[in-house]
Amino acid sequence: MKRINKFLGIAALLFTMSACEKNLDITPTQSIDEGQALRTSSDVEAALIGAYSDLGDADVYGGNIMLISELLGGSNLFNWTGTFQGLTQLYNKSTPVNNVFVRDTWLDSYQVINDVNNVLSALDVVLPARKARVEGEAKFIRGAVYFELVRLYAKSWNDGNPANNDGVPLILTPTRAPLNESSNVARAKVSEVYAQAIKDLTEAEALLPAAQTNNVFASRYAAAAMLARIYLQQGNYEQAAAAANRVITANRYRLVETDAVFPFNSQNLSEDTESPAEYIFSIAVTSSAGVNELNTYFSTTGRGDIDLRDAFVAQFEPDDQRLDLIYRDGGLRTAKYDMVYGNVPVVRLAEMYLIRAEANFRLGTAVGASPLSDVNQIRTRAGLQPLNAGQLTLASILKERRLELAFEGAVLHDIKRLQGSIGPYAWNAPRLVLPIPERERQVNPNLTQNEGY
Amino acid sequence: MRKLKPLLLAMLLLAVQVLWAQVPVTGRVTDERTGSPIVGATVSVKGGSANAVTGPDGSFTINAPQNATLVISYVGFRKIEVAASATPITASLAAGETSLDEVVVVGYGTKIKRDVTGAIAKVGSAELANTPVTSFETALQGRAAGVQVTQQNGKLGQGINIRIRGASSVTGGNEPLYVVDGIPVVTLNLSSNGAPTNPLAELNTNDIESIEILKDASSAAIYGSRASNGVVLITTKRGKTGRSRVDFGFYTGMQKPTRKMEFLNAEDYVKLMYQAAEGAGRYDFRYDISGYSSEQEAIADNIDFLESRLRRYSAGNDDYKTYKVNTNWQDQAFQDAPISQYDLSFSGGNERTTFYMGGQYLDQTGILLGNSYKKYNGRLNLDHKFNNWLNLGMNLNFARSLNDRVSNDNAFSNPLQIVALSPITPLIDPRTGLISGASDPARATNPGGPNTNYPVYYNPILNYADAYLNTTVNRTLGNLFGQAQLFKNLTFRSELGMDQMNQNEDGYYGPLTERNSGYPKGGGLASSDQILNITTNNFFRYATSFADRHDIDGVVGMSYQNQRIYSIYAEAEAFPSSAYKKLASAATKADASSSESQFSFLSYFARANYKFNDKYLLTLSGRFDASSRFGANNRWGFFPAASAGWIVSEENFLKNSNAISFLKLKASYGLTGNAEIGNFASLGLFSGDAPYNGVPGQHPSQLANPDLKWETSTSGDVGFEIGFLKNRISAEVDLYMKKTKDLLLNVEVPGTSGFASQLRNIGNMENKGIEISINSDNIATRNFRWTTNVNFSLNRNKITNLAGQEIGIGRQNRAREGQPLGVFVAREFAGADVQTGDALYIKNTVGPDGKLDRSTTADYNEAEEVVVGNPNPDFIYGIRNTVNFKGFDLELMLQGVYGNENYAGGGQYMSASASNGFDNQTRDQLAAWKAPGDVTRIPEARLFFPNGTDPSSRFVSDGSFLRVKTLMLGYSLPKSVIGRIGLDRARVYVRGQNLFTFTNYNGWDPEVNADYQASNINQGVDFYSAPQIRAIVFGVNVGL
Repeated sequence: MKRINKFLGIAALLFTMSACEKNLDITPTQSIDEGQALRTSSDVEAALIGAYSDLGDADVYGGNIMLISELLGGSNLFNWTGTFQGLTQLYNKSTPVNNVFVRDTWLDSYQVINDVNNVLSALDVVLPARKARVEGEAKFIRGAVYFELVRLYAKSWNDGNPANNDGVPLILTPTRAPLNESSNVARAKVSEVYAQAIKDLTEAEALLPAAQTNNVFASRYAAAAMLARIYLQQGNYEQAAAAANRVITANRYRLVETDAVFPFNSQNLSEDTESPAEYIFSIAVTSSAGVNELNTYFSTTGRGDIDLRDAFVAQFEPDDQRLDLIYRDGGLRTAKYDMVYGNVPVVRLAEMYLIRAEANFRLGTAVGASPLSDVNQIRTRAGLQPLNAGQLTLASILKERRLELAFEGAVLHDIKRLQGSIGPYAWNAPRLVLPIPERERQVNPNLTQNEGY
Repeated sequence: MRKLKPLLLAMLLLAVQVLWAQVPVTGRVTDERTGSPIVGATVSVKGGSANAVTGPDGSFTINAPQNATLVISYVGFRKIEVAASATPITASLAAGETSLDEVVVVGYGTKIKRDVTGAIAKVGSAELANTPVTSFETALQGRAAGVQVTQQNGKLGQGINIRIRGASSVTGGNEPLYVVDGIPVVTLNLSSNGAPTNPLAELNTNDIESIEILKDASSAAIYGSRASNGVVLITTKRGKTGRSRVDFGFYTGMQKPTRKMEFLNAEDYVKLMYQAAEGAGRYDFRYDISGYSSEQEAIADNIDFLESRLRRYSAGNDDYKTYKVNTNWQDQAFQDAPISQYDLSFSGGNERTTFYMGGQYLDQTGILLGNSYKKYNGRLNLDHKFNNWLNLGMNLNFARSLNDRVSNDNAFSNPLQIVALSPITPLIDPRTGLISGASDPARATNPGGPNTNYPVYYNPILNYADAYLNTTVNRTLGNLFGQAQLFKNLTFRSELGMDQMNQNEDGYYGPLTERNSGYPKGGGLASSDQILNITTNNFFRYATSFADRHDIDGVVGMSYQNQRIYSIYAEAEAFPSSAYKKLASAATKADASSSESQFSFLSYFARANYKFNDKYLLTLSGRFDASSRFGANNRWGFFPAASAGWIVSEENFLKNSNAISFLKLKASYGLTGNAEIGNFASLGLFSGDAPYNGVPGQHPSQLANPDLKWETSTSGDVGFEIGFLKNRISAEVDLYMKKTKDLLLNVEVPGTSGFASQLRNIGNMENKGIEISINSDNIATRNFRWTTNVNFSLNRNKITNLAGQEIGIGRQNRAREGQPLGVFVAREFAGADVQTGDALYIKNTVGPDGKLDRSTTADYNEAEEVVVGNPNPDFIYGIRNTVNFKGFDLELMLQGVYGNENYAGGGQYMSASASNGFDNQTRDQLAAWKAPGDVTRIPEARLFFPNGTDPSSRFVSDGSFLRVKTLMLGYSLPKSVIGRIGLDRARVYVRGQNLFTFTNYNGWDPEVNADYQASNINQGVDFYSAPQIRAIVFGVNVGL
């Protein structure tokens, strides 16, 4: 008995001591270590896809970048009736520094920038045949996002000297732990941010192929179109006309029928749709990934938070086919975003005609075509009589632009560029610039706040 | 590890001793008062390990060394010691157990309460039994000092927060470790709807013999890196030798919400809305917002807009003008809520084998529309003496629960969000004869489909009509154990435990829910989570006493735990008709994913107790812990603790005191850890969840931190236990201090890095407090007994260092240096401007002269955020009275929480001066500012010009309450009556749970924490959160 117990005791002891430490080495299955993530060409290409995915986030090109422009730039053309307080604040032009949309657009935009900085840091492993495209797409994304950030979070280009006004921090390398004092990046000047955006997009235009799948990936002309926008915003009309002209003369995009500019299928509003042939760059939304946040707020298939006013409708000529894109369902709505999974248009061909027309008109040139011809392209597509030379004024071009691009995110930036006003607020009123998010300034003491906050 | 080997060997060598001569001792145990035999009393050899249980005639046989002392105890009676010299022994026990003799379960062993030097709260089965609640934690409310149990809301089977001696972590877990019969159990929330479910709800409260809560480092440090938040040890019932018993229990009753709120009726609503439209017009004109040419025009335009909307919300007619329709929407959110529970258990056994077998069925309907919970539970606990040195046994519990759930608090489909609907909106739309919102014949897209803008918001009743979210849990929790008596004083115990939990969610959102779900043809989800948690504990126990004054016992062993979870989730939409509800019939499969994760812990532990002369007590313990969760640079942690006690009443100067019958002083000190972080939190990660246009993508998802480790808490505790008048009155007082360092913090980082936060060990927090429990046997006569238990706990939590940052910016609750965790930080509201009706805020800016500017401003941005409230109570308490008179028994239990504040998160909509949309308003908003000179806290009503709706102290209010938690009256039928029908025991009772709540809180129930955002930091926020449940049940317990 005693011997058995001794034996048992020792066996138990050995059993107790035998567990080994290797059971503690467990690796995740849905995530991989950052050191393993960018080893091959397809790894880097997958990271580029991830950047598009984040670019399409609700707070970036999923819609809120455009929505902020519409709400801040909106005056008496629609009523905001939604209950998201952060959006109500934007519409009322009384944005507190802790506004959640201001915070999230900032955070999510910089997430995209870190995504593409990771891609750009690993170009070495990308197959030579794909390298130019990958680099071009990454730079397109970075340039576009910096442009959006600087025009939302900083003074307008034409407000004082952009070389003296604070823009947004410029981050051009991927973030790796540990973070330290050097991670507290101060704001670059407005001119520096514009310069970076132009540099990225110019390089992108040179690197990118002419065509890309369904226009939901950046092509050469997507980069040119974005450049046309930037130059227009800067009042650099020659470059704006030239860039728009490059897009138009590529003959890859065409103006479609008015009722086809925005995808619509009355039988099935939650059908997956492709981008119309007019879109130069758009964000892909499918039922399994992506979100059309403009649908959320503008459409009755979403929250239907925006009621158009009669004053908006009154701007159109009676037989303008674009009136068919306005319907009454509870309130007056725009039909531009009725498809729940409609791709989000970022830039489309009509805008290029309008940029070329405006720039040519201001310069007295006819790069590509005369301003009259370009404006009439848009008018005749809307079923309107063409203007004659005597009717063509800057005001008529800008009106066409306002009607054509309504609710697509241009309004705030156009008012600033054209030095107009929004209700009682002049184009350069501090309230029309977003504050630097409160959380960001609390973690980064090097960030200055915008005037008026 | 290496350090432990010599220690283990030394313990083993000590154990190699000669077996003493044993002789069988027999005897009989009786009740001193009645002389009848006591069945099931425990007889053990003092200082030894042998024990026996008395049989049906009260007799026992035990092997004891010659001249040994026997200890005889039985629940409800005082323990006695008798010499085993004269056999057979006759022992009679006197009623009135003193709590000092109670056996207290500690980690990997048990102790007598008298010898405990740590801080352990025990709640026994008598207090827990038949509480009409879904989960046992709720039954603990108010019953143990230092333990705060908060149920997030009145939804069934959902989140409960337990804080033992306050919160010790900001970002890591703050819930205690739960150990059932020695095995740590799964406590993962697997819910996919944004509101947590409670995995502990599957345990059967009536299976629980006792719950021990290890509060201080000395008692908890044996659980090492997982003990900082305290440890809850749950011990289930076991069979006793003797006559087989059958117990049947049943109760049934009704439940209601504890409290309701008051909203505007149709007339008041319409009048306030007109007031708001006029206010909006004046404001718009004053600031030239829309470019009106006159104030009249602005007002007229706003009234036009308002009337078009009132007409819309009045189902498209003018009934609103006459207040003809006056719907009380709040009442529609609640339903009749019956509850019934059935219990049946068998127990018994002989000298070699004992068993406990229990089954339960709970059928509970929730107070919220569409909420219900059903639970089936079975248990078998078995003990077998294989031979004279080997004991074997098993515990097996299987459970199944079905929870018909409702949406999280933040969803439009949350039943209680129905209060936002206008009282002028009829329940049934007269245009269609259907529930308002169900159908709009005039709809341009999808004619006849659900309304998109009527009522003002989505009607949650449509979810009840055409949607469900069913959560099913199947769970098997069990362990096998063997215990070998290797030598006289040395046993080896090996336990292998398994907790297998499968949770399925089946959700369907029909076409009627389109406005909320976005599915015109219906959508559905299915999810499945499988968790397998395997634990093994292997340890030696040694106990000896020598020279008649030294008692030593110890535990040395190891434990390994691995928990693996595998999850599947799928979503699909577009069904052929609403008869099809499973994903198989859906046209578009929208989302599908599977994922896997696991963690493991490897631990070595040891504890030694030493008692000298029955007076001086010393306990040392330590645990080495390693976990897969920790960073590569910090894999192993060591958690030692020590405690000492002095039983002063054993000293000669007190021994013969008549007043003081017991006095123990005690102190403890030690380290514990908190490892409740993500499974892979230390790694820099990319994740593959970033597809675009049907192409898979990856993106950076986490910043690395290879130094990541557990949080460490250093705790000290001093206290005393005192008994007066033969321990009829006893008290226990503890003072403690817990300092936590290396807090696991999701530190906010510059967003320009591409990340919002990184998990780091940074920061310090402390908790200090006092706990007092008093037990008093006020009156104890033959027919009448009245006892009172009081517990009181005061905890002060303070974050002492957060490396200068603040967590939670943009939300109401914050983690801020120098403040308790979760304080409300917002602008300080100052009521309405007497002249303009604008919401005013106190600036609270510090001027260049260092003075605080307390003047007011209407510019929200100009005011500084300050601390405006604290969700942590100043103190909590419980008072329990029991009275037994002949066959009657009465229990009155009060629970109180004092000094905390709540934040009305829904206030920005429902108490918003009618300025933030068409939401119905709480009645107090009628006091809104109307004309210059009005002095009021409620700013001017301005439709769609939010006036004072930004976060501020306007929405903070006192959350203190005192609740009549339990009021129960029972009657045990006399044996002379029930004996005739063959019963041994029979009792009927009526019991009220949460019968009355005394509070100044102006929301629904002051015990609240909005479920969709509840966290360590986010506490005390009320966001359309269901009130707690008040229940009255009638029950019967019979036994034979």
